[in-house]
Amino acid sequence: MLQVNDLHASINGKAILNGLNLTIKPGEIHAIMGPNGSGKSTLSKVLAGREEYVVTSGSITYQGQNLLELAPEERAHQGIFMAFQYPVEIPGVNNTYFLHMSLNAIRKARGEPELNSVDFMRLVRSKLKALNMDEGLLKRYVNTGFSGGEMKRNEILQMSLLEPTLAILDETDSGLDIDALKIVAKGVNTLRSPQRAMLVITHYQRLLDYIQPDVVHVLSGGKIIRSGDKSLALELEAKGYGWIQDYQEAA
Amino acid sequence: MNTPDILHHYRQLAADQTTMAHDWHNRRQLHAVMQVQELPLPERGQESWRYTPLPPLLDTAFQPAALEQDLLFADDIEQLRLTPAASLRIVLHNGFFLPELSNLPDDGSIRIESLRSALANGDKTVQAHLGELSGEQSHLFHALNTAMLGEGVYLHIAAGAQLAQPIEVLHVSLSFASEYLAQPRLLVVVGEGAQASIVEQYASLADVLCLNNTVTEIFLHAGANLEHSRLQNESLRTRHLASLYVQQAEGSHYRNTTLAFGGAWSRTEFHVRFSGTGANCRLNGFYLAGDKQSHDMHLNVVHNLPGCSSQSHFKGILQGHSKAVFDGNIEVKPAAQKTDARLSNANLLLSRDAEIDTKPRLEIYADDVQCSHGTTVGQIDEEMLFYLRSRGIPHAQAVNMICTGFADEVIGTCGWESLENLAREVLARQLAAAMVAGG
Repeated sequence: MLQVNDLHASINGKAILNGLNLTIKPGEIHAIMGPNGSGKSTLSKVLAGREEYVVTSGSITYQGQNLLELAPEERAHQGIFMAFQYPVEIPGVNNTYFLHMSLNAIRKARGEPELNSVDFMRLVRSKLKALNMDEGLLKRYVNTGFSGGEMKRNEILQMSLLEPTLAILDETDSGLDIDALKIVAKGVNTLRSPQRAMLVITHYQRLLDYIQPDVVHVLSGGKIIRSGDKSLALELEAKGYGWIQDYQEAA
Repeated sequence: MNTPDILHHYRQLAADQTTMAHDWHNRRQLHAVMQVQELPLPERGQESWRYTPLPPLLDTAFQPAALEQDLLFADDIEQLRLTPAASLRIVLHNGFFLPELSNLPDDGSIRIESLRSALANGDKTVQAHLGELSGEQSHLFHALNTAMLGEGVYLHIAAGAQLAQPIEVLHVSLSFASEYLAQPRLLVVVGEGAQASIVEQYASLADVLCLNNTVTEIFLHAGANLEHSRLQNESLRTRHLASLYVQQAEGSHYRNTTLAFGGAWSRTEFHVRFSGTGANCRLNGFYLAGDKQSHDMHLNVVHNLPGCSSQSHFKGILQGHSKAVFDGNIEVKPAAQKTDARLSNANLLLSRDAEIDTKPRLEIYADDVQCSHGTTVGQIDEEMLFYLRSRGIPHAQAVNMICTGFADEVIGTCGWESLENLAREVLARQLAAAMVAGG
């Protein structure tokens, strides 16, 4: 589904990714762990299409197409969704309206009929219920004045509404209490299917207690330096990121 | 026309009034005629006119509008009205009060009549208040409006009245003549403890070229509460000058939301002062300046007594070759301890060719006060744009949503849905048009 090949990317002339390789197949959940500054968030933003990150070399192929040629909204239309590490406040824009416009834009791009307000509200309520979330978030402006936990819940609500083919969670777990963490995990696990893939970027192993990854990667210095199964995450948790640095130096 | 020609023109118009058969009940009108002969044309040396040279805007010798019969019909009002058909409605056509198209009250708690007839009947309130606020520190156009006072409109809400429905004030610009001068004049008195709201709209039914010079004076008695929403959506050739004077007595509340969309040039002046303590004034404003348009907003809020509060919150979106001026002046006099005054202005520039001159000013002469001011000028936030696009929303629609949201924080304070929706429609149309034109 996703093939990242020798990816080099920089921001403001500073190289962040230095030859990253990653292959994700349908049905798989991959976790990427790594210390601060290793390039985790850069990878997610490059995948989502943030223009200030410049890809200097390498390629990203998504479902057989060159992902780098697509605008952010086209990537969303093709089924890519990134849950933001820091969701953006949009004052004055009602959250329900935003969710409705987003879903309809994607449905339209896919050639599906747009949903009217009644059908949309029915759908959004069912998603909220499945995630044990209340409707309070719907009436407010997009992320405006939301607590950290509310912002992340809103990201998961969007993900469950948009039903992406490839979901990228950029440190969605950071700063969350255990209840919010369970909502995130529930959102991910509900979406899990043989047709979909997920990329879970996290600093801590904690989230992986609730989301079972198929593959765990360790990112350091802008490239993946080790990949393994779930036990790699536990090893990392036990030994700390210092161990990775030592590992790298030894290699 | 150069400055001397312009001055000569308006001085002549004012002087002509003295040859008319007016009954000079109102000494202030005569005084205003004299003022017009002496006052200079506002010029850029004056702080509040610094960014807007007037001569290019007054290049035409605007002639006083005449009352044109059989031009405006009930159907037009039906089309323009923003309140239910049965609501109280004051209709002005090129500044002339049209009782036959208005919807006037039959109960005693609300009075709507022409200022001229109230003066003729010796109404003490009107005699005392008409020109009381606008006469102070007036500039040429305030004086001109008073000097050339026609019928005018007097709205009085009796003490204790609680109005469930808003009173609509509808200004319609429509004429066979071109290059005319309209001068609407309103006096609003809200009695003690009364509660009311006014929905005011300035609309053009044709692409008229006019100078609309309006003066409104509002007096709130103790404990009165007035919600006042104004939409200016005149033709793109109109020069619109609106001067609003408010005096608030003890414990009164005034909320104004002004939305400026139309006109080649519009200037709205808000003059607020207090005649009692514990009063609150909220001024909200939004301006949308499209290509070749300019909007000026001038605030002059004077905290002259202790314990009053004011919140002024203005926002603007500028497109193409447009311009806006925000000149927000809050003065806290030495006696005005325990004042709470807030002032903010935020601007969104959608074009490199747009110009905003923003100048919040706080002059504080008391020591025990809470005051703040802030200004922002920016472009569309890239983070917001990316967030919306990453959710599948196309670029143009995302820009539209951000702008609409930005404006809606002000539009949404009107408290009258049909006015808010009309404003949203006008905004959406203009944003879409600019998008097609490429910015």
